[in-house]
Amino acid sequence: MDVARIIATFARIGILNELQYRANFFFQVLESAIGLATALIGLGLVFRHTTVLAGWTPPELLVVMGIYGVMIGIVQAVIQPNMLRLAQDVLEGKLDYALTKPVDAQLLISIREWQVWRFTNAIAGLLVIGWALLWMQASVRLEQIIAFGAAVLCGVIAIYSFWLILATTSFWVIQIESLINLFEGLFAAGRWPVSIYPSWLRALLTFLVPVAFAVTVPAEALTNRLTGSTLALAAGVALGLFVIARLFFRWGLSRYSGASA
Amino acid sequence: MSAHIPAIIVRDLVKTYEVPERDPGLLAAIRSLFRRRVRAIHAVSGVSFTIQPGEVVGFLGPNGAGKTTTLKMLTGLLHPTSGEALVFGYVPARREPAFLRRITLVMGNRNQLQWDLPALDSFELIRAIYRLPPAEFRATRDELIDLLEVGDLVRKPVRNLSLGERMKMEIIGALLHRPQALFLDEPTLGLDVTMQRRIRAFVAEYNRRTGATVLLTSHYMADVEALCRRVIVIHHGRVLFDGPLSALVDQFAAYRKLIVTLAESGADLKGFGEVLAHDGLRYTLRVPKAMAPAITARLLAEAPVADLMVEEPPIDDVIEQVFAVGTPR
Repeated sequence: MDVARIIATFARIGILNELQYRANFFFQVLESAIGLATALIGLGLVFRHTTVLAGWTPPELLVVMGIYGVMIGIVQAVIQPNMLRLAQDVLEGKLDYALTKPVDAQLLISIREWQVWRFTNAIAGLLVIGWALLWMQASVRLEQIIAFGAAVLCGVIAIYSFWLILATTSFWVIQIESLINLFEGLFAAGRWPVSIYPSWLRALLTFLVPVAFAVTVPAEALTNRLTGSTLALAAGVALGLFVIARLFFRWGLSRYSGASA
Repeated sequence: MSAHIPAIIVRDLVKTYEVPERDPGLLAAIRSLFRRRVRAIHAVSGVSFTIQPGEVVGFLGPNGAGKTTTLKMLTGLLHPTSGEALVFGYVPARREPAFLRRITLVMGNRNQLQWDLPALDSFELIRAIYRLPPAEFRATRDELIDLLEVGDLVRKPVRNLSLGERMKMEIIGALLHRPQALFLDEPTLGLDVTMQRRIRAFVAEYNRRTGATVLLTSHYMADVEALCRRVIVIHHGRVLFDGPLSALVDQFAAYRKLIVTLAESGADLKGFGEVLAHDGLRYTLRVPKAMAPAITARLLAEAPVADLMVEEPPIDDVIEQVFAVGTPR
């Protein structure tokens, strides 16, 4: 498939680029380790006071944390760098070359940057999930894994679409940094299952910043909580957000005028 | 593609930008948060021309004349406010892949190559984007590397190349898909004279080999003189002149230079025209074009002339004058 080939080529070039900065790898491993340790200490503190949090046991919460790590890893490695570059290119009128290529513009602007070292967060997240599953001594069924995979995919699509909408606003708004900080603040709430939050915040985290679908739903898949209707809703939200993001991006593109040389 | 179908057709092309505007100061800034005042900028106001396949056309005009805006409309980056542009029969703003495969855009002030990697890696990326068959890709790449004489430079990280070397790489990257129309926006910007000449020679050779249509903007008249038999002069968003370079000089040069060498000193030539230079017996005079024959005759009759030459002003001066005046005389 052509799309897969183009993505693979860009990923390869991205990795080649990152290999030039090996020091980044070590810093990233350190950062991931510190992030993980902080999160685990936080979790430990909570469970010195209680054993169950809104129906979630300690190992189950560990699953949530692991998935949060996986998501944040993907966001930081591919989604966020590409969207920041888009916003910057729009601001500086540097989108010209991307738009004169015979490839879908949205695809092209979404795969140009690969900060591969950031995937260490995702790997750490997977290890945490594995550890949690061992702790629970749960036997995970195949359909659970499939549902988990589907939920993660929906989550990634939802987060990507949300980011694209955010970055597309740069066709109108000049600075999107504050929006990005807002996103990161809200997304950090995804370390915990959304059911522990008050309903207004839960609504915000479900439909405005799709943290619930990105983190909590995949966690539900691994902890025997997921219902078919929730997964269908997650798929619907992912698809809907994607369509909205695509239309919005195209509208933004038609407003692009580029900085005059 | 038949030679009788123009490569580029532009009819009454208009582009108007709306630019937010406000008075200086904090209060005005706050007010503009709520009520934005916009001013219309007429970047291009009714441009028309036709370019045949294989033509190399120079697009001239001062900064802000509308050159880049027109180029961007022809490459599909900007939607025209009104009017029509057709490139090989395609409407550029629709950005159809079949159209984009046939054109290329090179901007002297932008780069698309990966900064930290050798250009060869970036070329691979371009190969994937254009889905070029490997054999054809390699043949084109090696031909271009040969033509531009860059050899092993393609293996060095782009960041380690000089500005001129980098521009050569950009050009190779822009031509790997063998485009039939080249839009070159200031391709020699900032390059030294030798490098400008090399790029120029390359564009000429590429045009000769492939028959590609070339539309070029440049601040360097030498580029235009060397490459373009035809020039389109644009100013304040309108076409001022469209024709051969020589006709431009004819039409716009309002003055002639008379270089007079006298046989003996003592004569004063101030009465014949404006004295631009005076060195011993040699005078350089500037006279209005229409009066040049009469003044020449008078000089020969009234002064002890040993030698007399009539010169057209250099093209740079003519262009400068065109832009300064803005209307043909």
